[in-house]
Amino acid sequence: MTTTSRRFVRRKRVLSFLLLIFVLPGSLNAAVPRVVRGLQALYTFDSEHGTTIRDQSGVGQPLDLKIEKPAAVQWEGGVLVVGSSTKILSSAPARKIVNAVKRTNSLTVEAWIKPANDRQKGPARIVSLSANSSQRNVTLGQEGKRYDVRLRSTSTSTNGIPSTLTPNNLAKTALTHVVFTRDALGTARIYLNGKQQASQKVAGKLSNWDKDFRLILSNEITGDRPWLGEFHLVAIFSRALTANEIKQNFQAGTAVKPNNAPSKESLAAATARHVFETRIAPLLARNCLDCHDSSSKKGQLDLSRKAAALAGGESGKVIVPGKAGESLLWEQIKSGEMPPEGQSLTNQEKTLFRQWIDNGAVWSIDLIDPAVYVHDSREGAAWLQRLTISEYIETVRSTVGVDIAKEARELLPPDLRADGFSNTAYNLNVDLKHVEIYARLAEIIVDRMDVLKFAGRFSKSQKLSTDDTMRQFIAEMGKWLLRGPLDDREVTTYSGIATTVAGAGGNYQEAVRFMIEAMLQSPRFIYRIENQRGDGTAWPVGEYELASRMSYIIWGGPPDQELMRAAGAGELQDRTVVKKQIQRMLKDPRAVDRSLMFLSEWLNLGRLRNLRPDPKKFPNWNEELALDMRQETLAFFNEIVWKQNRPLADLLHAQFTYATPQLAAHYGLKPKGPGLVRYDLSSVPARGGLLTQGSILTIGGDEASMVTRGLFILHGVLRGVVKDPPPGLDITPVPSMPGLSQRRIAEQRIANVSCSGCHLKFEPLAFGLEKFDGLGAFHERDEHGNQLRDDGEILFPGAAKPLAYQSSAALMNLLAESPRVQESITWKVAQFALGRPLVAADARLIDQIHKAAQKGGGTYSSLITAIVLSDLVQMTRTETTKSEAYE
Amino acid sequence: MTIQKIKRRTLLKSVGASTIGLPLLEEMLTSKASAAPTKAVPVRAFNVFFGLGIPAPLQTEGFEGVLEPLKPLSDKLLIMRNVDQVRCDEKGINAHYDGASGAFTAEPPNGEARSGGPSIDQVIRKTHYPKGLPPGMVPTLVGGTFFRRSRIGRYVHSYNQDCTVAATMQEKPRDLFDRVFGSISLTGDATDVRRKRLKRSVLDSVVDDYKYYTGVNSPLGAASKSRVADHLDRIREFEQRAYALKEKNPNAPKLPPRSQILHGGPADPGGMGVDITLNELTTEWRLMADLYALAIQMDRTRFGALTFLAAGERIRLTGDYEYNGKKIWQFDDARQQNASGDKGCSHEWWHKFNEKKKNEALRAHAHMKMREVAYFLQRLNGTDSKEANGRTILENSLITISTESGDGRHNNVKRELSGVFHAITGANGRFKTGEIMDVGAEGVDVYNTMLEGMDVKERLGPAKRKTNMVDSIRA
Repeated sequence: MTTTSRRFVRRKRVLSFLLLIFVLPGSLNAAVPRVVRGLQALYTFDSEHGTTIRDQSGVGQPLDLKIEKPAAVQWEGGVLVVGSSTKILSSAPARKIVNAVKRTNSLTVEAWIKPANDRQKGPARIVSLSANSSQRNVTLGQEGKRYDVRLRSTSTSTNGIPSTLTPNNLAKTALTHVVFTRDALGTARIYLNGKQQASQKVAGKLSNWDKDFRLILSNEITGDRPWLGEFHLVAIFSRALTANEIKQNFQAGTAVKPNNAPSKESLAAATARHVFETRIAPLLARNCLDCHDSSSKKGQLDLSRKAAALAGGESGKVIVPGKAGESLLWEQIKSGEMPPEGQSLTNQEKTLFRQWIDNGAVWSIDLIDPAVYVHDSREGAAWLQRLTISEYIETVRSTVGVDIAKEARELLPPDLRADGFSNTAYNLNVDLKHVEIYARLAEIIVDRMDVLKFAGRFSKSQKLSTDDTMRQFIAEMGKWLLRGPLDDREVTTYSGIATTVAGAGGNYQEAVRFMIEAMLQSPRFIYRIENQRGDGTAWPVGEYELASRMSYIIWGGPPDQELMRAAGAGELQDRTVVKKQIQRMLKDPRAVDRSLMFLSEWLNLGRLRNLRPDPKKFPNWNEELALDMRQETLAFFNEIVWKQNRPLADLLHAQFTYATPQLAAHYGLKPKGPGLVRYDLSSVPARGGLLTQGSILTIGGDEASMVTRGLFILHGVLRGVVKDPPPGLDITPVPSMPGLSQRRIAEQRIANVSCSGCHLKFEPLAFGLEKFDGLGAFHERDEHGNQLRDDGEILFPGAAKPLAYQSSAALMNLLAESPRVQESITWKVAQFALGRPLVAADARLIDQIHKAAQKGGGTYSSLITAIVLSDLVQMTRTETTKSEAYE
Repeated sequence: MTIQKIKRRTLLKSVGASTIGLPLLEEMLTSKASAAPTKAVPVRAFNVFFGLGIPAPLQTEGFEGVLEPLKPLSDKLLIMRNVDQVRCDEKGINAHYDGASGAFTAEPPNGEARSGGPSIDQVIRKTHYPKGLPPGMVPTLVGGTFFRRSRIGRYVHSYNQDCTVAATMQEKPRDLFDRVFGSISLTGDATDVRRKRLKRSVLDSVVDDYKYYTGVNSPLGAASKSRVADHLDRIREFEQRAYALKEKNPNAPKLPPRSQILHGGPADPGGMGVDITLNELTTEWRLMADLYALAIQMDRTRFGALTFLAAGERIRLTGDYEYNGKKIWQFDDARQQNASGDKGCSHEWWHKFNEKKKNEALRAHAHMKMREVAYFLQRLNGTDSKEANGRTILENSLITISTESGDGRHNNVKRELSGVFHAITGANGRFKTGEIMDVGAEGVDVYNTMLEGMDVKERLGPAKRKTNMVDSIRA
């Protein structure tokens, strides 16, 4: 299959899964729904004919089964009757099941069956993931009058022995709901018809499952363990269903079946939508909306909104769905007349448009938001996340208790900003200096540790050997230091260091020293390593990976012991548990620090350190003032978010602030006590909110450039998009003069036809801040005596008409109440949480996150909770390798 | 794969003793034989260890059996039979380890990481160079090619008075080279060198880790993989700069090729054994042996230990074995034993030794070991190893060759640690050569006789014990 068609198939499956999610609840009557969380494969046997049994789970690539001997079976209304020995097996290894189970270390095998007799033995294989009669991952079988389940784990044989058995006389020739579960802590259970009939400890990890075994029903692959009877339903989950869930599935019975794969029509519709949202919309955004959005509307044509686009402009309808030849839009594009400037569309892009119109011009989003398409999918790709300097410091502190902040900040090269944040993964590369310094820091860290005391947490022995005790010790210590279990390869590598130390006449302490030094430089320490290989679909993230994602998002540091414990026990599979953990974690002071870091990055507060105002213009300036401004903004945020738990939008207009006496004086407020003190601003209407604080107001430089301030508001607060100025333009700020205030200069630009297109989008945003000078002090007149105003207009991205405001306070209120601004804050927080800019494929998920957060009050906590619970964090997009992709 | 023989003359020209002011062997070489050697040939002592031993019955076949490869050197060696090391047995710890620790020390081990006493070479060194060796010389050089690593006694065979290892094991040819030629420290500060070696092993393991994430089994996607690959490149750069040779000389000796076999942790996966071909094994060993011999020839070292395969070694060897143009055996340990993992290792042939049977595989292994030991000895016996007194370095030095046991069946400690193979060189006429001798004595007595012959007053073994001299070995 070619890459494009493979992607298409993948998309088809993703879409059909999505459809399943939306369609499922609607199709049910009063009957009990089946539990689907953790489902990996599902067979409902309602083909009625043929030799293929389709995997209806909608998860990953479908694992269809084929009946080897059609003559051996009979179809009877949703039931497959196996009358004589045959094999029903998958053509490919059951990779998605094996991978999922290896990660979660738990599983459920469920079957609605009716044995043909109570004598078949072998055990006769009912459902099996195996290769032959002595090699398996799991097999549900019938051994005469009992059910027998063999499961491979690191403490059972490769044949899955010893098996878990039900008591005798329980396997009857009647329709039976048989469920086998084994949870992450090692308890295996068998339920018959909703009741637990067997429980046994099957310890060990399922990490030794063979990835090449196929899924087979009603026999062994070698054909020598046949099972005869009826198959009504078979399901495999990558988690252990609880007793209640099993009861639920039992009550749901076999009659309730999920819908078949979506019909051709609905699939086609979904595909068309996908094409519009990821191919057409970006093209429109990049090439057309500059002139044809709701506000510019050249030729009265607004191509940003569905209704408007289909209605047309002054030339009438431009799109005739299904008939590109009659569509003016297509004619203009085809001839190259549109777009009139800049790069014309490529032939490929033109073809896309034509096809889209011919296919019905499906338009699936109400408003095309150019901000969504700013970053292409490359930047949304899964780049490995290197720890930022602060994350490195916190990780060292949390894992080994050493404070390496001073040296790390001094020696490590600074993390650079990309797309507005300095934790953007694709930009966190590593240079020679990094390698050198990581090595040096590792040495310093180990020097400061009480190595024996640290080692004592993981092992009682202090013997320098390379036997199992040492390996066990390495595994335990490594699991803590490297944020997850070590595999054999890693244990071997580190124990090699121990032997080298021994070979040099060293002792235990020295060996531990050097092992820790090595671990501190391991990619698993420096990077957040995650599994990114799969079948190309989105997979649930591993439990330790999830723990790390949670802790770095909420704390900017590694998981603590409690979170590691929960991960190891498989608890993070459960959303309610995850919620509780999030709540616990948000109470930790590190969550505050991390949120302040977000604020610092979003508003680029680091800039304040380097302020160099012209002393002639600002004779009262001193560096302390810049630090005070930074403190003001951080304290302000802290109070809104943590002390008062207010919606994040309140950051824009809350009527208070924090200031030192110096800063207060600078602002024209009556200074109160020493240090940073809270100032109530209800009687100072001009101030109140981030945009009225020195840390933001200084963005425009000494001259309080409306362009710079406006652009900040547009990009940082409104998530608007505007093109760069054309090349060769003199963009030196024009200084104000008597009779020519900055506003007048801005208005001149806006009146200029060649500038207004873009400048209209952002300069008026800064009008409301005109009375604040380049250092944030308030004046009614500027230095030339020009009267300053604070009224203006704000054009929200996507709006047709700008909204007028009469004062800066009004502007702040407009911003705070704007859904657009609220969404933008969500986008910013999400970007910082994920360590990458958001792309078109994220748009739907972010929308869901935002809605969930707003429901929770629009606070930082509700937003973080929504982000962590969303698929952006719970799932990982996988890439295929040759060995993983099966057509 | 052809091994590039390192040209000693070229090396002498370049790294020359001019930087360290040592008496050049070259000078000694060119002086006419007629001139009476007023310069004394330096006292040297080395311990050469090979793993797993030769069962005593196989030592009785003269040079017709497994000892055949030693035949060309037979006139320079004294092969001693019936030397027993039973006193080295420690209850509860296996004889491989005990025997290994006892080789060259004649004492049972003192714990996991210490010998029971000093080794011969160190005792001789202390006596003859009480004030230390000339500056710039490596005081003790320890090298080897081996895999089994639990407990250092298996692979380190030179010990201080305080029972600690006498020097850091250099297990890669490059490490040895670096130790000898790359990090000449005029102050002779050994700890610095040791630390560097340990740092090296830390970096090696870090590199291994990064390599994994850029390899075929990496769990990372394409973009992430390339990021890690970048990081790995930076580490390699760092390696180059941090560990580059100090002497940057256009004629400087070329760095030997990178080791191709397993080292460090992966070399000993918990005793399960490694797969290796005869070619890989001998290539690495011979490079190691060449470099070690070169170090001796250039008088950069006069004491130390060299190990070919560890005590209780675990390898699954494959490859055709030829000697003198004749195919002797095809090594295929796992298949021939129809087993995998540790059960498929050559070690098992020793477990299966049966005097009544042919023991072909075991014989082939033992024969091969002798061939490789002989390879090293020959390096010290050529024309470029002739010293001032007309004898070769081999003849002038005390080289003791031994192993850990005289039987491999683990069912009789006496038998296991009796008849442990020993061979020594003449040490400039101090000891008999050209004989296979039934010594019938304890190892401690043999060693103490050797010490006596080397004019060393100190004795190995328990302090109060009276030595029974084995005069028969004296020349």
